[in-house]
Amino acid sequence: MQGMDQASLLLRKQLKELTKRPVDGFSAGLVDDSNLFEWQITIMGPPDTLYEGGFFNATLSFPSDYPQSPPTCRFTSEMWHPNVYADGRVCISILHNPGDDPHGYEKAAERWSPVHTVETIMISIISMLSSPNDESPANIDAAKQWREDREGFKRKVARVVRKSQEML
Amino acid sequence: MESDYDYDYEYDDDAFPESDEDMASGDDYEFDAHAEVQTAAKRAPYIIYDEAELRERQQKAVDDVAGVLSVDKGDVVRVLREYKWDASRLQEEWFTDTDAVRDKAGLMDRTQPASSSGKDQCKICFDDYNVKEMRSAACNHRFCRACWKGYIGAKVAEGPAVLGLRCPLPNCRAAVPQSIITEVASDTDLKKYSSFALRSFVEDNRQLTWCPSPGCENAVEVKADVGGEPMDVACKCGAAFCFQCTEEAHRPVDCATVHRWILKNSAESENLNWILAHTKQCPKCKRPIEKNQGCMHMTCSQCRFEFCWLCQGSWAEHGERTGGFYNCNRYEVGKKKGDYDEESLKREQAKNALERYMHYYQRWAENDRARLSALDAMNTMIEKRLEEISEMTATPTSQLKFLSDAWAQVVDCRRILKWTYAYGYYRFAESAQAQTSAHSSTAADALRQQQEFFEFNQGQAEYFLEKLHGMAEKQVGSFLDGGEPVEGWAKFRENLIGLTDVTRVHFHKLVSELERGLDTILDVYDNSAGQEHGDVQGPSAPQPAAAKKKAPRPSKKPRGAGSSQVASSKGPSQDELETVAGIWQCAHCTLANTLSRADCSACGNARGSRP
Repeated sequence: MQGMDQASLLLRKQLKELTKRPVDGFSAGLVDDSNLFEWQITIMGPPDTLYEGGFFNATLSFPSDYPQSPPTCRFTSEMWHPNVYADGRVCISILHNPGDDPHGYEKAAERWSPVHTVETIMISIISMLSSPNDESPANIDAAKQWREDREGFKRKVARVVRKSQEML
Repeated sequence: MESDYDYDYEYDDDAFPESDEDMASGDDYEFDAHAEVQTAAKRAPYIIYDEAELRERQQKAVDDVAGVLSVDKGDVVRVLREYKWDASRLQEEWFTDTDAVRDKAGLMDRTQPASSSGKDQCKICFDDYNVKEMRSAACNHRFCRACWKGYIGAKVAEGPAVLGLRCPLPNCRAAVPQSIITEVASDTDLKKYSSFALRSFVEDNRQLTWCPSPGCENAVEVKADVGGEPMDVACKCGAAFCFQCTEEAHRPVDCATVHRWILKNSAESENLNWILAHTKQCPKCKRPIEKNQGCMHMTCSQCRFEFCWLCQGSWAEHGERTGGFYNCNRYEVGKKKGDYDEESLKREQAKNALERYMHYYQRWAENDRARLSALDAMNTMIEKRLEEISEMTATPTSQLKFLSDAWAQVVDCRRILKWTYAYGYYRFAESAQAQTSAHSSTAADALRQQQEFFEFNQGQAEYFLEKLHGMAEKQVGSFLDGGEPVEGWAKFRENLIGLTDVTRVHFHKLVSELERGLDTILDVYDNSAGQEHGDVQGPSAPQPAAAKKKAPRPSKKPRGAGSSQVASSKGPSQDELETVAGIWQCAHCTLANTLSRADCSACGNARGSRP
């Protein structure tokens, strides 16, 4: 269980660090205080984007061999975004194992590496909210609307923002 | 035998030289028979390595390049891998733009010397360590050993991409040096890593391939660029396979044909063809029905629909009036009008195609079986009976090599013969179609001619092979169980060696003819048929008058190229044929006749008469 110990130590350290020195744009805590591997995150919709003003809840689930393998991130608040599956799972390249890419190191910088932390992951997710990548969409309907019906997309996002505020 | 290796000499009208001249250098003859067991193996040099030798070979490849580029060996492995172990391409690019090559492989110079004192934070676990306890690639991004171990372990689990391992920091392309991996990785990970490294040496390298035989871990290196040509190699484990496609050895047939044939044998399409050829669909439920007996009144076993087999109309409309149970007037009328033509034509075609395939497949499979049983018999002979034979004949086992040579020849020839059937199936598919459609054109005629010629050669080769196979199998047996007196052994030995040689020559001819394509063959034979010394082969068609001209034989091959043992000049003499193979060859039409015939069964000319 050495890997488990390393993962717990590292997660505990990061949690302590984030509580002491919070980072702009999100707040983090545990879903259940006895389990270091399930984190509860609240993301503030980044300013000057369609998501501004929203408070979106998400969970981060860490594998036992973290940091060798990436965690998964999933919105629990309703979300409408080309890179978020209908069930809330976030699809960004740094959360993919490099093994998913048969060519290996072509875009190593965009893939998971053990040096990533909760902070770098959340920064990536926040940047995803401000600039969706419709090249490899997870939610095809959202990507299509983003490309072809920007007004409709805006209205739909405005609705999820309002909903997230009501949940507070 | 002075002109053995000479393709350009002029031919004498005096067609058959004295046979004792051919036999004069008997030692030579025997030696050839021994040296040429692998009839058809193309003579491109290749080497078989076991695992230890392979590692040595890899080390040597690295050392060679390291010497030329004067770089650290670990770095050489990196760049060589990047260049798929193609040393010449690497060297070319290295000396054109060293930086680009180094960058591609993630090699970089240490910008600052690694300091050996002070503390630094590991970027993965965020703990502080003495710098001495930490490791980094040339980029100086330091991580603790535990984190390195975890990182390397995770990458090894992901597969061979670990061979291109880079620094864990995103955006950093620095290659992780072998030394870190060797130092921190667990034993299991290290073992996996080293097996990935060896696999990359074989699998990325165009000149190397694994032996495909199950359980065999040898690799084969071909020393020359063979292009896309099929190339037979024999592994130490006994497997003979094609270097290009790693299917079993199949020269002279090309890899694509072999692939198609294997696919066809495993495909369902032939089943469908059979169904099409032998069944009709129930007119109501459309299930295929095979009628194997009985009258024309059919009842579908599935939907109970009753119908007439001939016209496929409902049986309710049939009866005495339409011809009873065994006939159908409606069908006869419809047939006259041509109503059923298309359907029956289709059925007929499917039947023909299926029969044609079965013809070739059966012969292919039969030869495959024969090859396996010959292989078996050879091993049994060598392992179990050689001592016995040695005792019986009072000869040392070293002198009995001719027996295993004969068997090896049989095994080899069975394989070649087998693949010529796959070749024939595809090569003459059009000729089969032309026959059914009865259209005649010059192209079809030429193809038919080629087919006749091919089948003639195939038949000749097969004839000798059967003879050799029988001799090696049965006659040795009858010596052993006392059926034949030991005194005959010397004669038998001579005959078997001769027959082995004759068979080899025939197969060599078949192989080289197929490889050259049959087009050229017709020309060659038009010009030189009947002029070759003691050659048993040739088209059965009468020779054209032009054959008498003293023309040098057109030769596609350069003098003394590659395998210089070309069949034509080393064909068996008339005497050899008679004593060894039990045939005589007609000097008029070249047909091989059995010794019991006094005249040629094809052209009727008397034995011994000359044109």
